[in-house]
Amino acid sequence: MAAKKKAAAPAEQKARNSADVIVLGGGHNGLVAAAYLARAGIKTILLEARGELGGMALTADIDGVNAPMLAHTVGRFRPRVARDLGLAGSVRLVEPEVRSFAPHPTNGTSITLYRDPEKSAKELEKRPNGKATAAGFLKLDGRLRRIGAYFEQVLDGVPPDLDGGKSVAEMLAGFAFRKPFTDLKEGDGREILRILPMSASDLVGEYIQHDEHLLAMLAWRGAIYNAVGPMSPGTAATMLFDGITGDGADGGAAGQTVVAIGGPGALATALADAARGFGAEIRTGAKVVAITEQDGRVTGVALASGEEIAAPYVLSTLDPKTTLLGLLGVEATGPDLRRRLRATRSSGVTAKLNLLVDKLPTFTAAGKGEAAEQTLRGRIVILESILGIEKAFDASKYGQISETPVIEALIPTLIDPSLAPDGRHIISCVVQYAPAVLKDGEWDEPTRKAFADSVVAQLEQVAPGITRLISARQLITPADLQSDWGATGGHAMHVNEGFDQFAQWRPLYGIGRYETTIDGLFLSGAGTHPGGGVTGAPGANAAEALIRHLRRAAD
Amino acid sequence: MAERYNAIVIGGGHNGLTTAAYLAKAGLKTLVLERRSILGGATLTESPVPGYKFSVASYLVSLLRPQVIRELDLAKHGLQMAPSVGTYTAHWDGYLDRRTDHADTIREIRKWSHKDADNYDDFKQTVTDITRFIRPAIDIPAPDPYGDPHEWLDYAGLAKDFGHLPLRTKGALLDLITGSAYDFLSRWFEGEPLVGTMSASGIIGTFLGIKSPGTGMVFLHHYFGEIDGSFREWALPQGGTGAVATAIANAARFHGATTRTDAPVKQILLKGDRAIGVVLESGEEIHADTVVSAADAKHTFLDMLPAGSLPNDFERAIRNFKFRGSSAKVNFALDGLPTFTAAPPGTGHLMGTVSISPSPDYMEKAYDDAKHGHPSHRPFLDMLIPTLVDPSMAPPGKHVATAFVQYAPHKLAPEHGTWDDIKESFGDLVVDTISEFAPDFRNKIVGRQIMTPLDLERTIGLTEGNIFQGEILVQQMAFNRPVSGWARYKTPIKDYWLASSSAHPGGGIMAAPGRLAALEILKSKAGDE
Repeated sequence: MAAKKKAAAPAEQKARNSADVIVLGGGHNGLVAAAYLARAGIKTILLEARGELGGMALTADIDGVNAPMLAHTVGRFRPRVARDLGLAGSVRLVEPEVRSFAPHPTNGTSITLYRDPEKSAKELEKRPNGKATAAGFLKLDGRLRRIGAYFEQVLDGVPPDLDGGKSVAEMLAGFAFRKPFTDLKEGDGREILRILPMSASDLVGEYIQHDEHLLAMLAWRGAIYNAVGPMSPGTAATMLFDGITGDGADGGAAGQTVVAIGGPGALATALADAARGFGAEIRTGAKVVAITEQDGRVTGVALASGEEIAAPYVLSTLDPKTTLLGLLGVEATGPDLRRRLRATRSSGVTAKLNLLVDKLPTFTAAGKGEAAEQTLRGRIVILESILGIEKAFDASKYGQISETPVIEALIPTLIDPSLAPDGRHIISCVVQYAPAVLKDGEWDEPTRKAFADSVVAQLEQVAPGITRLISARQLITPADLQSDWGATGGHAMHVNEGFDQFAQWRPLYGIGRYETTIDGLFLSGAGTHPGGGVTGAPGANAAEALIRHLRRAAD
Repeated sequence: MAERYNAIVIGGGHNGLTTAAYLAKAGLKTLVLERRSILGGATLTESPVPGYKFSVASYLVSLLRPQVIRELDLAKHGLQMAPSVGTYTAHWDGYLDRRTDHADTIREIRKWSHKDADNYDDFKQTVTDITRFIRPAIDIPAPDPYGDPHEWLDYAGLAKDFGHLPLRTKGALLDLITGSAYDFLSRWFEGEPLVGTMSASGIIGTFLGIKSPGTGMVFLHHYFGEIDGSFREWALPQGGTGAVATAIANAARFHGATTRTDAPVKQILLKGDRAIGVVLESGEEIHADTVVSAADAKHTFLDMLPAGSLPNDFERAIRNFKFRGSSAKVNFALDGLPTFTAAPPGTGHLMGTVSISPSPDYMEKAYDDAKHGHPSHRPFLDMLIPTLVDPSMAPPGKHVATAFVQYAPHKLAPEHGTWDDIKESFGDLVVDTISEFAPDFRNKIVGRQIMTPLDLERTIGLTEGNIFQGEILVQQMAFNRPVSGWARYKTPIKDYWLASSSAHPGGGIMAAPGRLAALEILKSKAGDE
């Protein structure tokens, strides 16, 4: 470990080889952080190991068609970040009328949820026990929106310090982010303190009692991207974040569906342009192998090329294990932090399968023609029941690929036809559960093919004939996320989301407020509050924490 | 009209008896009404096999509050407890036998992992620091987040202490409150039997697996264990757990309380918004100034009150309170001790807990079955042979083994029918599971008693067979137990109180809810005067 390298670079060294702050990682959070820092007049260099920027928000060219390589929706991107960085003119976001569409895999029925909850409720009324279900859905939606308005405010700040409170009341208020919390009605405040540790299926189950398919469809939002099932406690917290409402965000029970025109990569490009515009230097192909430090104080970074860059501050948007276990030695981090961080859950179970099809397949339950095209603009969720999802999850706990994984597909070409030149479509599928490390065997070609085949076979159930339309497939497994994107454990959210790795204890209590125990090292990215997804919030919050720190130091 | 009482306590389990004893001791004319013909509730010793005494439901005492032992002088009223020493874990490739001697324990752990042995002391220290910090909370009513600031005064010291805890302890405490027992333990340990057995503390009585977040809280709940001031020890009462209830009943009667068995309560008598007594199934009415329920939240609020007497929000919250019983109890009469294939010489390893929890995967798979409505194909078992400590439980030379079995989900998948349909085959499964590690076990059995979750529900009155009268889940603890805003034993019905394990701090043979409810009732009466 190249920890104790040379001290701060000599003053006469080339400007190119020193900065005030080095940002690690050119994903959307790194780009947001670099933009905020540069905007504050801080000399910032961003280093990205891969040849291209965007991290997990990438647009990939498949046979001349632009596909969202990993993330495919950007609904939770923080409006205030877009405002602060002046992105309004450079990125166009589209929110389809349909939020999600769930064709039942076996019985031919389907559920469609809309941006307008009343419209969703009207549709739900037509189902068996529909009156009670529709009423329950509206109640749940209302509750999630009111609580979501609170979480909307919580996303944009540093989680409060739990230490030094004068009373337990202050401490509790600290847990709950005091000001927005005391603004809540008492009933909603009590509900937050009750719901946070719950499972998504228990939460939704209090409102939806007679519709297994809808229950699963809604509770799934608490488990997507994470190595948990909807019955795992703590998944309600993930749902609450997904349901945020206010300042342009509009979640509720159905969750958000927002697509960036040009693909998620367009957002990354706009962010990179903004960062450069504020004066940040951005370098790709620059793999960092060590954060250098001396006596517990950051001195810069060392690159794989042998080059060293000096800086008193490093803000890392890489996953916490890479940053603290991989780039620093035990003498800097200490054994206790290392032990706790190693046990942090970061095993990924989510794969991505992009399918290129010659024309739009027919989803039986959606019908045909323009109406079908409208319905298919939302997220297409293929699942059956809570226990069905749990069964798929169970397999992954023992290193097995689920036989019937949950699929959440998006057809971005329906919203943005410019992505495909000639009427072809991309079907972008988030597939869960498939573990990064397999108990028997490896993610070799036969395994990958069999897995992709099984996903297509499941799609075939709800969209007969789809198999014949596929002209290209691109599969990204959690193992690829680890090897190609450097995410320890292959987790798209860096560390598992849920109440157990949340707020000021994401990734761990003591380093959950962006500042770490190592002087000059700030942690950001999906592994910090408020977690993964294309929000830009961890990047902005961490950068602002660092800016405040620098101003205090200057005073 | 019949006699009038100051207080009626519904339910003669250990909590109801404790409440009655405290109220009677304070001079209240108190009546305990028990549905069954025997007192004790789930704290019960019976002899379904003649000559053999079983702790029918509960089996170990770890959490009984020292205040209760002292303040009710339970030793004088007949309570004798012997420490239960050590835990023996059977494994396919050997065993792990931890007893009281520290050096021996480390040696045993080192057989499985050097790392674990090196980390053991650090783990113990961390957990000790956490429990020392948080334990006072068991003996104080839970403060309400929107409550009177006075409610928080008792906790002010705790908050100050939190600030002074080292970062690692604070972090570990948060990890326990929010995370899984398995994740917590895996910071220190990797050995299959050690992690398997220790993680079991995170699932007892809860419908979750060792890897489910939230089980850290259950683990913490079990590590509160202390007997009469000595830390982290479990004990066996002489005469089975029923002896605890008997001693508390003796204390209650000593202070003047009356106990009546075979007196099931049909309904609470209300006058306006106030409880004024009870009606028994027999039609008899008994009036009192105060009515206390030591039954669980469902019986207390949904079964015994006239429909429509509760505020809607409160009633909905009670309907959302989760029970989900996940365990069964199988008690055996044996004509000799079983021989475990992999075990040290002698019978010392059988003196404490015999645990069938050989690995984390074994435990988690047991949960997977239950999640889908099946009894675990290979369940986790916690077995005691109390006759090794208390020979009076069986005829001379004979033994009793009592096995806590998880998972036995109250709600079965349709293909199983009811618990009555699969009761005997479930008993056989438990025998098979033990016999896998002790092949002669099945030949020593002369009688058995199977308490399925349905039996626990019907016989003992535990809703859905949940041994804690409500799952130990983070969202159902402290100020949320059983309902946010109503966690301090008071209920929306005036003069009607809750004193069962459905209230803070929850289940186990603690007698804490019973004691705290009595103290709150007395405080409220003092305020009225």
